[in-house]
Amino acid sequence: MKLALLILEDERPVREALRRDLVSFARHVRLEEAEDVPTALEVIEEIDAAGDRLALVMADHRLPGTSGVDFLIGLAADDRTATARKVLVTGQADQDDTIRAINEAGLDRYVAKPWQADALCELVRDQLTAFVVAAGVDPLPHLAVLDAERALAIVRERGDL
Amino acid sequence: MSTATARPRVRLPQLTLVQRLGLLLGSIAFLVPLLIQIPGLEPAGHRMLAIFLLAILFWVTEAIPLYATAVLVILLQVLMLSDQALVGGVGPLPPAATYFATLANPVIILFLGGFLIADGAHKFGLDRSLAAVMLRPFAGNARLSLLGLMMITALLSMFVSNTATTATMFAVVIPILAALPKGPARTGVALAIPIAANVGGIGTPVGSPPNAIALGALEASGQGISFIGWMLLAVPLMVVVLLFSWWFLSRRYIAVDTPMSLELSADFDRSPAALIFYLVAGATVLLWLTEPFHGISSSTVGFLPVVALLATQVMGADDIKRLQWPVLWLVAGGIALGAGIGASGLDVWLIGLVAWEALPLTLLLLLLVAVSVGLSTVISHSAAANLLVPLTLSLAIGLPIDPTAVGVMVALACALGMALPISTPPNAIAYATGEVPTSEMIVSGVVIGGFGALLLALVMPSVWDALGLL
Repeated sequence: MKLALLILEDERPVREALRRDLVSFARHVRLEEAEDVPTALEVIEEIDAAGDRLALVMADHRLPGTSGVDFLIGLAADDRTATARKVLVTGQADQDDTIRAINEAGLDRYVAKPWQADALCELVRDQLTAFVVAAGVDPLPHLAVLDAERALAIVRERGDL
Repeated sequence: MSTATARPRVRLPQLTLVQRLGLLLGSIAFLVPLLIQIPGLEPAGHRMLAIFLLAILFWVTEAIPLYATAVLVILLQVLMLSDQALVGGVGPLPPAATYFATLANPVIILFLGGFLIADGAHKFGLDRSLAAVMLRPFAGNARLSLLGLMMITALLSMFVSNTATTATMFAVVIPILAALPKGPARTGVALAIPIAANVGGIGTPVGSPPNAIALGALEASGQGISFIGWMLLAVPLMVVVLLFSWWFLSRRYIAVDTPMSLELSADFDRSPAALIFYLVAGATVLLWLTEPFHGISSSTVGFLPVVALLATQVMGADDIKRLQWPVLWLVAGGIALGAGIGASGLDVWLIGLVAWEALPLTLLLLLLVAVSVGLSTVISHSAAANLLVPLTLSLAIGLPIDPTAVGVMVALACALGMALPISTPPNAIAYATGEVPTSEMIVSGVVIGGFGALLLALVMPSVWDALGLL
């Protein structure tokens, strides 16, 4: 089972920049991209069918068709993706959108464009760890992309089985 | 506004092929003794053999979780071998309560105290602060630092579970690892911690579950060992194996001029709650070590911190919930299995299967230790002890050696199986850091485990004899 990270972003250069900044995660995490919401839903189906777990969604708000915030609200209501961590990566969400994302989708983080690569990696590591803790996933296979201290705290409680 | 958040789906794990096979073979093996009349085995023994075969296959294949097999063993014994048995007609049977009582066996109570003290030590940061203070004298030289790391890990592991010790020490060590050059030095440090945790776990009765399983079985046959009595038997082996491991790992992985910095800050909690904890934990350990003077059994002493820490509200309901109940129940299942094997006459039949007394004692002990180390390399140490302790204690009845020595020997041997990432949770943690290739874990595990096994089988019985410990 792999942890999956989904980037939802309609502008190709932005998608590529995100992927480039997160390249250090690619060896241990399934990195997926989608340019609009229908594609994103297909990708989620694929992740689920392969037995992997959607751990983190990084979504833009302004998209052709369904907006990023509406997509995140949909994820929160789906039992397969309810535990996935939700991050809005946008420069264009107004206050009302942001309020809806927080109150209705349980938004976990807001990243304003342009982002700092280091800070973004820290944020992803933090959110993946939060997912593993909340979803009760065994952290050991994913230790390389997690905050080791918090991941080991889960293992400590297992005892010598 | 309410949030339309879905209830996350509960996912059942996919069974592996081995697990499916385990389920199938376990069920068949369970039925065979119930359907076939085995000469020389009493009717109750048939039922116990069925349960024992099921336990072997389920524990070895992990067809269901280890702790689930443990409670299954207890339930089957109640349904087949107690006064509440569904089908009678096999003579007088013990009350069901005796099987349920294994869940609160004195050894479990001892562990309850040990777990609560270990959790408290973590809650108040005592484990990390102690590690920081004790590492200071070892700063400067990389090989010496490795010795310091291993000694502290082993010392913590004597009172804290091997897994928790490893998790704590890796949290301490990960910055040190990152500062080391990539390659052998990192491998050496990352291997040293699980090895020291596994070896340290043999040091006291509360150090790891196999010790509890052996203690419980020995107590049931009227040969209980005191806390300090166990330490006298096990600590000499622990120290020698630890020093050997250090010698081996530092020669193999740590170049003399490796730079290693051990700047850790100790931050002792001085809040009133922490001070009460230190006092209670210190008093408990002191009482454990002085049992010959006051005569209060280690289990009773183990219940003291439970009462004191809860009464003073230093620890509360959440801390009780966080205790490692699955481990306690696994141990209880092992104790129940041992009790059933003894009570059903299965032990007598098992001894009769092979003419053990025809073999030289030394060869037999070597075989015993080798099987224990081998089995615990591929399955959980606790599950291996659950299966092997009752078996070997029955076997020991016919041997010219103290059964206590045999019970302790099997428990200690079960700690030495550490050649694979799956052997123990500490190994799994070390492997997950990405610094330890499987091949290096095999080499160090085989060399150190093999050294410990030879020492245990060939030297320790004479040492115990010479010191008058048995």
